[in-house]
Amino acid sequence: MEQVVIAGTGPAGLTAAIYAARARLDPQVIEGITPGGQLIVSHEVENMPGFPEGISGLDLIKLFKRQAKRFGARFQSGIIRTVSKRDTAYVLTTDETTLETRTLIIATGAQARRLDVPSEPKFYGQGVSGCATCDGPFFRDRDVLVVGGGNTAIGDALFLTRFARTVTIVHRRDYLRAAPIEIEKARRHPKIRWMIPWIVAEIAGDKSITGAVLKNPDTGETRKVDCGGIFVAIGHDPQTEAFRDLVVCDEHGFIQVESGSTQTSAPGVFACGDVCDPVYKQAVVAAGLGCMAALDAQRYLEQQDT
Amino acid sequence: MKIKGLYCHHVHLLLVPATLGILSLSGCEKKANDEPPSRNKEKAMSMMKNSIKQEVKKDLSQLSDPVKLIVFTQDMECELCADNRTLMEEVAALSEKVSTEIYDFATDKDPVQRYGIGKIPAVGIQGKKDYGIRFYGVPGGYEFSSLLHAIKIVSKNESGLSSAAKEELKGLTKPVHIQVFVTPTCPYCPAAVQIAHKAAMESELITADMIEIQEFPQLAVKYNVMGVPQTVINESVRFTGALPENKFLQKILEAAK
Ligand SMILES: Cc1cc2nc3c(=O)[nH]c(=O)nc-3n(C[C@H](O)[C@H](O)[C@H](O)COP(=O)(O)OP(=O)(O)OC[C@H]3O[C@@H](n4cnc5c(N)ncnc54)[C@H](O)[C@@H]3O)c2cc1C
Repeated sequence: MEQVVIAGTGPAGLTAAIYAARARLDPQVIEGITPGGQLIVSHEVENMPGFPEGISGLDLIKLFKRQAKRFGARFQSGIIRTVSKRDTAYVLTTDETTLETRTLIIATGAQARRLDVPSEPKFYGQGVSGCATCDGPFFRDRDVLVVGGGNTAIGDALFLTRFARTVTIVHRRDYLRAAPIEIEKARRHPKIRWMIPWIVAEIAGDKSITGAVLKNPDTGETRKVDCGGIFVAIGHDPQTEAFRDLVVCDEHGFIQVESGSTQTSAPGVFACGDVCDPVYKQAVVAAGLGCMAALDAQRYLEQQDT
Repeated sequence: MKIKGLYCHHVHLLLVPATLGILSLSGCEKKANDEPPSRNKEKAMSMMKNSIKQEVKKDLSQLSDPVKLIVFTQDMECELCADNRTLMEEVAALSEKVSTEIYDFATDKDPVQRYGIGKIPAVGIQGKKDYGIRFYGVPGGYEFSSLLHAIKIVSKNESGLSSAAKEELKGLTKPVHIQVFVTPTCPYCPAAVQIAHKAAMESELITADMIEIQEFPQLAVKYNVMGVPQTVINESVRFTGALPENKFLQKILEAAK
């Protein structure tokens, strides 16, 4: 029987691991599909206190992990699929193992949202991409779409102008959430065009993408555009699939916690980081919540034992 | 670190954002108005900034066994071959445990065959023996961490795979060739490369290649690579994206059936 199992190795899970390990709770950490979490794709984290020169997200996460390991946290690869209650404990399953634990800290964060288009899975990695810096070079002299209106979308569009012939930003609302300076840069860029408010309704192509059908959500009008690639940056969803029956989530899937604590609706189950934070979504906040979750779990165990 | 020059022959390294700490390499230490760097063997320019060298030196200070970087280039060096050789020599200079052995792809038939090298720039990482760990194309940008990773696991003679994974790989009966296609600006790619290299270390039957796909356009066409990391195992199994270790392992076993 484990004292604490921590699901997720982003800033929240790793901070919880540091605290729980130091509290001698011998935490078992499950890494999930993206060891290191969202931050590993960030080239430069400039707002993490203690790093005045900035640091790459990957380097930062490596430091978090090293610190957790130093105090004895155990790491295991795998994805938690189901959780069920057994007496006062919880039984967790991954594809390979079953674990029983007295407390569970859910730090499963958020994952990039996918396009809601029937053929999207078929084209993922074959023209549809969620990572402009990874895949941009494959689209030299092609026309590409960037879907989304936030900072990531505008940043991706600007980045892709280095390769693509044209970059069309497709956004479903007629306003942009991105920072004004970035929007201004994009507006002035000769390669960037705009389709606002439009959505991607279908992707055309056989082995690779040849175009997309866009739809205007206001008028219902559709229009076919030619393109060789589609970059998707439409935000993130909390990853709570395995926990929906265990804890109460809000209508967007964020786990609900008691105000001022990380306690979920299930005793002994705590949530921290982006998985329960629809507002701030910052690494330092996730880390702070991770600390709270470990302390909350520690206190819960102490109360159980007395 | 700032990337200054206009004469950066690595367009792709230029894309690496200004600071990636130790992960970042700049092919360009030249000022914008200088002559293009001369590309002959004697005067290849530095691939790493001094501050990065210091970090790498520290990182490599805990090596155990000697490691040899087996580098394949050719007499009339292509630019990237020269960069790759320079990078390997500079890394080797940072640890007394690391050395290079330079071969000519065109004329050194024996090592080319022994290491199974079919294209250049290429590097094999050799410790006590050759584990089948290969890099094709310059491991710059994020992939620099994969180079350091390979040197470290080979030197320590320990892949770091879980004991369950090691056990499963012992059951392999057929040769397995893993190709991981990457770009240097892909933060997810080193995870895939490093698992492949760990697996190569564990099994004599596995060879694992990091391939910087932009340097081998013919492979990009052959495998229709439009997203990275993309992994091809024995031509039969193929997937895009970084998988967790256990999932990656299942793919290896599936391909070796
Ligand atoms: C491109 C980009 C740039 C950013 N830049 C900054 C920045 O500069 N500064 C800043 O403060 N924030 C930044 N952020 C936000 C920051 O990354 C997040 O706020 C932070 O990572 C949230 O941490 P987390 O630990 O809650 O979750 P995540 O980082 O999302 O980690 C979730 C973890 O849970 C695991 N997991 C998921 N499901 C399961 C499961 N079923 N079982 C087990 N494990 C599971 C995943 O594998 C992962 O390890 C950026 C985000 C992005 C995408």
